[in-house]
Amino acid sequence: MNSNVAPMRTFGDFFHFFIQELKPRGPWITPFNVISIPVILTGVVILVYRFIYGLGSVTNLTQDTPWGLWMGFDVVTGVALAGGAYVITFVVYVIKVEKYHSIVRATVLNGFLAYCFYGGALLIDLGRPWNAPNPYIGNSFGFSSVLFLICWHFLLYMVAEFLEFSPVIAEWLHLEKARKFLKSLTLVTVVLGITLSMLHQSGLGALFLMAQPKIHPLWWSSFIPILFFVSSIYAGLAMIIVEGTISHSVFRKLIAPNSHHSFDEIIFGLGKGAAIVMFVYYFFKALLFIHDKQWEMINDVWGYWYLLEVIGFVLVPALMFAFGFKHRSLNIIKTAAVMALLGIVLNRLNVSVIAFNWYADVHYYPSWQEIVVTLMVIFSELWVFRWFVTRMPVLNSKH
Amino acid sequence: MDSFTYVNIFETKGLEYLLLLCFWALFVYLIRYLSTPAKKHKDSHR
Repeated sequence: MNSNVAPMRTFGDFFHFFIQELKPRGPWITPFNVISIPVILTGVVILVYRFIYGLGSVTNLTQDTPWGLWMGFDVVTGVALAGGAYVITFVVYVIKVEKYHSIVRATVLNGFLAYCFYGGALLIDLGRPWNAPNPYIGNSFGFSSVLFLICWHFLLYMVAEFLEFSPVIAEWLHLEKARKFLKSLTLVTVVLGITLSMLHQSGLGALFLMAQPKIHPLWWSSFIPILFFVSSIYAGLAMIIVEGTISHSVFRKLIAPNSHHSFDEIIFGLGKGAAIVMFVYYFFKALLFIHDKQWEMINDVWGYWYLLEVIGFVLVPALMFAFGFKHRSLNIIKTAAVMALLGIVLNRLNVSVIAFNWYADVHYYPSWQEIVVTLMVIFSELWVFRWFVTRMPVLNSKH
Repeated sequence: MDSFTYVNIFETKGLEYLLLLCFWALFVYLIRYLSTPAKKHKDSHR
């Protein structure tokens, strides 16, 4: 972050400053750049091809399987992984646990960018993307549709997240009065953000309520909105642990030395929270399993796949979080966080892709172009995240 | 005298109640487990 800049008085000052900040810094030849640049460029070429020749030219989607990897991973999974922002802002600004204040900015930024990129990835999956503004302008759209709620929530939540992050931008631009004003809006935007987030996290689950005949019974439940909401809480906590650990390693120079120790304490706290939420989620799943009398479904390939998800990637990491917290082992907690994230990815893909049309003779699998575009979305978000972190006071705040 | 009538626990809500009881017992145990003083650092930053 450039801290020796005079306050900007004219648009010319701002323009000059912004152009300077856009210039790349640091070495170009890094492992991340070497991997991500070719993937992003290939992804752009595929997207141009997709918009000229249509979805069928680059995806394995069909009329029977209209949702694939782009919808299942980018949108449904990506939004769950962005749940950390509403959880942390609730903990810091509503129940006033100051211990986690130092990670709020990075978490909110991560959540905001995740919604921009993963929610934005919806546009590449829409057959007629030019119709995307229809829910916002009221043009021939079903007001009782779950998608109507999700569209509006995505937009409003991105605005709320941007406002939560805006004091950082004001601080970056040395606009002290603007920073104080934007900071005064924080509690309002946080409450709005939490409300919206809770509703659309569960709303994403509600999207699948009407797909009951298509989803394997082990993954479909009338309580799927609640399952999506509860799992988004621990997905967010696990994501903060993984993303924070990587950030503290990659951006080590930007962080004060004493912050590393306090971040360890934050990880322990997040691990404890994740253990409790995952434990509750596991019992939700067990209760629904018994309530729906699904015993006879467990003794086949789908049943074993279900057990792998629920026991291997929910119960086991939950116990690891608890054990890691009790025995003060960061490695166990970080391993549990990675497993929890894999469990969320598996769950969302099971619901939206793998166990969708499970009875069909021909199963969907993503094309290589779908995989490259998904990686492009992830790498693009990481590039933008890196730009923000290295320019703005995200990890090294004075406030 | 009334005759004995067997109620199959699998056909009623019985098993769900049992699971809920297990949940609360284990949840209380988990909270107590996580609330007791933590042990010393093993592999955290120094």
